[in-house]
Amino acid sequence: MAQPETVKKQKKGEEEPSFKGAFVSVLIVGLFIIITWFGVFILFNYRF
Amino acid sequence: MKTASRLKVDQRDAKLVMAHFYVAFISLAIGGMAGLLQVLVRSGLFELPAGIGYYQLLTLHGVVLALVLTTYFIMGFQIAAVSRTSGTLTAVQRKLGWTGFIIMTIGTAMAAIMILLNEASVLYTFYAPLQAHAVFYLGLAFVIVGSWFGSAVILLKYRQWRKENNKAVSPLLTFMAVVNSIMWIVATIGVAATVLLQLLPWSLGLVETINVGVSRTLFWYFGHPLVYFWLLPAYMAWYVIIPKIIGAKIFSDSLARFSFILFLLFSIPVGFHHQLMEPGIDATWKFLQVVLTFIVIIPSLMTAFSLFATFEGYGRSQGAKGLFGWLKKLPWKDARFVVPFIGMVAFIPGGAGGIINASNQMNQVVHNTIWVTGHFHLTVATTVLLTFFGISYWLVPHLTGRILTKEMNNLAITQGVLWFVGMTIMSGAMHAAGLLGAPRRSSFSEYGGSSVAADWIPYQVAQGIGGSILFLSIILMLYIFINLAFFSPKGEQDFPVGEAGHEAEKTPKVFENWKIWIGITVALILFAYTIPFIDLIQNAPPGSKGYKLW
Ligand code: HEM
Ligand SMILES: [Cu+2]
Repeated sequence: MAQPETVKKQKKGEEEPSFKGAFVSVLIVGLFIIITWFGVFILFNYRF
Repeated sequence: MKTASRLKVDQRDAKLVMAHFYVAFISLAIGGMAGLLQVLVRSGLFELPAGIGYYQLLTLHGVVLALVLTTYFIMGFQIAAVSRTSGTLTAVQRKLGWTGFIIMTIGTAMAAIMILLNEASVLYTFYAPLQAHAVFYLGLAFVIVGSWFGSAVILLKYRQWRKENNKAVSPLLTFMAVVNSIMWIVATIGVAATVLLQLLPWSLGLVETINVGVSRTLFWYFGHPLVYFWLLPAYMAWYVIIPKIIGAKIFSDSLARFSFILFLLFSIPVGFHHQLMEPGIDATWKFLQVVLTFIVIIPSLMTAFSLFATFEGYGRSQGAKGLFGWLKKLPWKDARFVVPFIGMVAFIPGGAGGIINASNQMNQVVHNTIWVTGHFHLTVATTVLLTFFGISYWLVPHLTGRILTKEMNNLAITQGVLWFVGMTIMSGAMHAAGLLGAPRRSSFSEYGGSSVAADWIPYQVAQGIGGSILFLSIILMLYIFINLAFFSPKGEQDFPVGEAGHEAEKTPKVFENWKIWIGITVALILFAYTIPFIDLIQNAPPGSKGYKLW
């Protein structure tokens, strides 16, 4: 029961795909990096 | 005819690849056993049976996992990837591949025997002035030279493909393997130099003393690109193979090539970030290499965006709504996706920790603490390794003419989840204890009843628990590997290779202008290293004789 491969899900005039989620995800990763960095930076200032 | 022969790795090439994988997974078994013993010793609840030294064990663990397992897996995987995307190896290329494999294996055996005889308990960084038996260094040299043969196979195949295809844009996986091979060759020249010109004559007694600063600098000139040599094959899978597995297109062929080029340029002139606490290197040059190190954040975040975009694009094509609805559409029951995905997640704290390590003065907080060990058990021992396991789940049956059955797939997911749980506990405890000052590379000690050291012990017990769970995961992995290599039902397992989306632009030719990229690579290396290197030689303190402290 092979599916006919020619059936396209894509419709004409479809808008640009949205990458909002990807963008926000990278921002969250960036935020995580900054927060952990400052965490250790505070420790550094406290110790040295 | 041509396409058909390309969809499958040729049987003769498959044998060569599997030979590499056997050594890799035997290393996993040995190294995993050592890791388990280490965490048990360090918890204070267990002592090594008479005769085995803690540093002997730790050397074995580091060498077989970080050096042997990785190099063999990568050589095998890259050969498979090139054979699949650029065509079967020629007889000469295959012979070169086998020659490299044999040379590497002789070298590995030499080094391993010296470690087992307790003649080389110098840890996997073999830092001078610790001095191992000459045969250990000779073995290392063999491994390096053997790996050059494997790299030559990749480069020759690439050249042949370009010739036969009128200099067309090369297949993406082949291109990536070429970048990694060039980086490897440039980087290993440094470690070959210190092994052959410094460590070997010194251990043979031909010279009395060694310039420690120079040998460590040459080591880290190699040591940092080494970590990218591990990581780039994982990126090959993330950029090219994972999209195919989930049923999506590659986000952008050009972006993938560009990020690989950036890794080539900025992975090598940065070794000083491992020597920030060492004397003999001017602060200006340390600072410069710190800045160059931070440039790697750019291709790293590019990679992250590209992956998120692949996932989101796919999820939305399946009707996902909202900001994160696409996450639900991913194939959470497919081990070929889930296991590397766990690796990707681990790279978020792994990368964040790396930025902290490399932050010049802040390195003082973590230097030589067990935090660092926690860091690279996330990066190499989770991100890279789980991706390699995820690759093995389809590549091993592909090569042996078998299939990944439903049961094995489910077991593989269990393997990945167990790894995640065990590593979260072990690496988390290592990070925390490290911030409290607990040193790395140390057996159990109460440090004369110090109250500071007493605070570390609960974390060491936690590492024992996490490490034991990890060991279970390794057993599962080995079981699945043996099953896929020898017992799984016969069949055709696909070697997934993604294609770029139709809207993706044409890939610029400049990416394959190697004169430019190798030229800039060399220029950056000369810029970052020449003056401090001369300084290390001209203003060197008296050389050091060798020490055997074990
Ligand atoms: C069962 C799994 C594992 C356990 C329980 C484990 C445990 C440990 C422990 C406790 C240490 C530090 C000991 C010390 O500093 O005194 C260590 C070091 C190390 N581990 Fe693992 N590990 C495991 C898997 C791996 C894997 C898969 C890799 C690499 C692919 C790896 C690479 C390393 C390296 C390079 C070191 C540093 C050795 C040194 O400092 O010279 N480990 N491991
Ligand atoms: Cu580094």
